[in-house]
Amino acid sequence: MKKYFYSDGVDKFGPYTIDELHGKMITKDTKVWYEGLGEWQTAGSLPELNDLFRASPPPISTGASSSYGGPLDQQHRPPKNWLVESILSTLFCCLPFGIAGIVNAAKVESRYYAGDIEGANRAAADAKKWTMISFWIGFAFIALYIVFIIFAAVAGDL
Amino acid sequence: MTKKGFLILIGAFILIAGLIIFRNFNPYESKFFIQCPFLKITGLKCPGCGSQRALHYLANFELIKAFKENCILVCSIPYIIGGVVLELKQPTKEVLSTRKLLYSTNAIYVILVIIIAFWILRNVIH
Repeated sequence: MKKYFYSDGVDKFGPYTIDELHGKMITKDTKVWYEGLGEWQTAGSLPELNDLFRASPPPISTGASSSYGGPLDQQHRPPKNWLVESILSTLFCCLPFGIAGIVNAAKVESRYYAGDIEGANRAAADAKKWTMISFWIGFAFIALYIVFIIFAAVAGDL
Repeated sequence: MTKKGFLILIGAFILIAGLIIFRNFNPYESKFFIQCPFLKITGLKCPGCGSQRALHYLANFELIKAFKENCILVCSIPYIIGGVVLELKQPTKEVLSTRKLLYSTNAIYVILVIIIAFWILRNVIH
């Protein structure tokens, strides 16, 4: 009986018989190999494996990072998008930076749900950067203002 | 003490100090409150203008007066609390789908449009 190996793009698993492959997350794009096959092939190109795909759903996303066609992990949240902090900084401190934060929050979400995890992480880092910039500008502004008030009060007394 | 614990402590201190200050002083009458630089330079209100006065009225439970000063601030409070709660909860399927509906891409663009529309309208309509 032919034994198959399959790969998720990083590790390879096997050998398995066709029956055993039914329990695995094999999609048409999963790379498989068996002894005698020259190169790794996509499972979809091997007619004897067609039975495997009837029961399995099509991949959810076609994003850049989904080399493995399994469904996007439903148990994880997107990276922190700093939305709440950006709204607060828009309302209390630094309007333009708050808006930049909100735009980046939207990018985090749209990229994550399109399967572009790496892009989402980059947008999350940007969102954090703008939040931090507005926080420190606001902090410096208020600190300077307090110094100014104290100075004015002292000067007024003299 | 962990960094997180330290930040929570600082946050609690600022919150309580802020509450006491905003409860006891009205930014209209006191001259110690910072004015919006955008308003000073351009003469136009930004979306955040009035938020200190709104906080003053909120701290004194005068919801309607607070709403008149900055309605977007008052409206955003339940939304912000909801966002924080969802962030802290374990990510179950329900939490994630609620989050995706109310705090993801489409919702964020709606917020952006609301803020910018508010910014324009409050300078046009008096």
